[in-house]
Amino acid sequence: MSNRPDFYALLGLPRSATPEDIRRSYLKAAKRLHPDTNVGPGETELFLDVQLAYQTLSDPAQRSAYNSTLPPEEETSSVIDQQILISRTELSRTQESQLVYLLVKLSPNKKFIETASSVPLNVCIALDCSTSMNGVKLDIVKATAIQLIHKLKPQDIFSVVSFSDRAEVVIPASRQNSALKMGNRIQHLQTSGGTEILQGLQASLEEVRRFKNPNYINHIILLTDGHTYGDEKPSYELAQAAKEENIGISGLGIGSGWNDVFLDRLASSTGGHTMLVSQPDDIERLLTEKFADLSQTFSENVSFDYEIADGVEISYAFRLQPETSPIVIETPLQLGPIRRNWALSVLFEFRIKPQTLQNDNFSLIHGRLEIYSASLSMPIPPIPIEIRLSVVDNVVIETPPPILVQALSKLTLYRMQEKARREIAAGNLNSGANQLQKLATRLLAQGERNLAKTIMLEIEHIERDKNFSEHGEKQIKYGTRALFLPEERTL
Amino acid sequence: MIICPNCKAQETDGAIFCSECGTQLAQPDSAQTQKFANDTEELRSEIFYVDDGPNQGSTWITLHLLETGDIFPISERDEFTLGRLSENQPIEPDIDLTPFKAFDNGVSRLHAVIRRNKGNAVVVDLGSSNGTYVNGLRIMPNIEQPLRHGDIVALGKLKMQIVMS
Repeated sequence: MSNRPDFYALLGLPRSATPEDIRRSYLKAAKRLHPDTNVGPGETELFLDVQLAYQTLSDPAQRSAYNSTLPPEEETSSVIDQQILISRTELSRTQESQLVYLLVKLSPNKKFIETASSVPLNVCIALDCSTSMNGVKLDIVKATAIQLIHKLKPQDIFSVVSFSDRAEVVIPASRQNSALKMGNRIQHLQTSGGTEILQGLQASLEEVRRFKNPNYINHIILLTDGHTYGDEKPSYELAQAAKEENIGISGLGIGSGWNDVFLDRLASSTGGHTMLVSQPDDIERLLTEKFADLSQTFSENVSFDYEIADGVEISYAFRLQPETSPIVIETPLQLGPIRRNWALSVLFEFRIKPQTLQNDNFSLIHGRLEIYSASLSMPIPPIPIEIRLSVVDNVVIETPPPILVQALSKLTLYRMQEKARREIAAGNLNSGANQLQKLATRLLAQGERNLAKTIMLEIEHIERDKNFSEHGEKQIKYGTRALFLPEERTL
Repeated sequence: MIICPNCKAQETDGAIFCSECGTQLAQPDSAQTQKFANDTEELRSEIFYVDDGPNQGSTWITLHLLETGDIFPISERDEFTLGRLSENQPIEPDIDLTPFKAFDNGVSRLHAVIRRNKGNAVVVDLGSSNGTYVNGLRIMPNIEQPLRHGDIVALGKLKMQIVMS
């Protein structure tokens, strides 16, 4: 490419962008890069380029003159490599429901990994200091937090909020605080009262907001060991607000007494995820890993704005990697992050009702992936997605791509676990235990003996107590989720 | 509607795995099998299938290690894992291949599983480092690959022939 920047890339637009698109992207970019607000080196120059780009592209005559100087669109390299796999290309014109599976994998283009700058963090740890955290749990959390402080880079922003039935800012968000002073404050944390997660989230969000910056990774890490009562709904609303401001939330649940369903929904609606800390010893490893992963961020979150054909629903969406997690079905979908060393893969299940198949050609879903990245100075053009299937009277059974089958084989196990939970929650103990039995059999066949054993023990527990044990329920859920972890992280 | 061959659950058209028992419904390997059918033309004449049921308890499959000539007849179980034992290993393989230079040949600790499925034998690679090969072609991990009499299965570089009975 020549020295002159590609104006379309600069504004994050495809060549076919409408004047309205151009105006909107320009306003967005200008707001971010304006000399009054920008922080990064070179951004004022970038602002001038954006000005020039808008001047050129907003004038039809200048735009067409400029277009003729550009190389053909195919030759320009894209920032994100995408891979889209689908389980079938044909639908049957039948009077039955049909399923279609779709796997979308997004990885950063190698060239851009090198040019992307390392992004500073703006992270708040929201720490549950209710009475139940007392003892070894809190001691390990304190020790880990202090270690993390020593690992911070000078430009990182770090804050700690402790909460029980009220929240307290232990370390206010700031840069280059004295590590010793921060460590002392953390040492003095004490436990009291119950768990009110909303309190902790509110205070943490305030801290992150104070230095909220599009060039930072803005994130809240919630550590809790208990149930929150009555404040679930406002907590979800708060997560929504956080997502709108590009602030992610992740949850670490310690022990077995926390509400995984609540925390999963809270985190995944921001593109984040939850982890189970089964023993206090794991806190250190998981929290350190989380920090390392955040600093490897290429894109904090990919959002999928879509329209779906009538009579079609997304019946399931699941992020295989990074940070395995179910995805809340909503519009737009928050698919999650792309790490430099770890591609984003999401698996979708579509359920199609029979009466909708009139034409020979069926548009299952169309929309665009919006990829937000603080590590690149230029916005990434949205990736259009359109999946079309042909409709035939007699379907030839197709061979789905092996990668899709492989991912589905693991997802099936996770969903068997979910099904068993639903059955048992509904009081159908026998069918729930049956389902678990089948899951254990599958796991044994795959050599996952420890997890299979955990499930067998849990079946005995269910027969005895007529319900899941909180411990077993989470072990099985996060155990089947851990099956997705690759031995090595690969793109 | 698809009926699961394992548990008879009814699954929606287009499903790839049974949501009830986790069995794979669509067999993605059929196309691949046809592709290399030519290579095994002479073996196909020997193909015969084992009946399920009456053979319970008797040897249904035998592994014949090509390099050393050792033979493992399998009778009691319908499913067995192959690998090598090492220290501090939580899950032990049913057949330990350590005496047959498993390590040098690149066999993982839990390498593959062979199981009986409706009278047919299948092999599943358990995500091994060096892969499992059937007649020289690497198979996808965690996906069932049907085995026939005379097939050569390689765990890494350790080769064995499948003898069905």
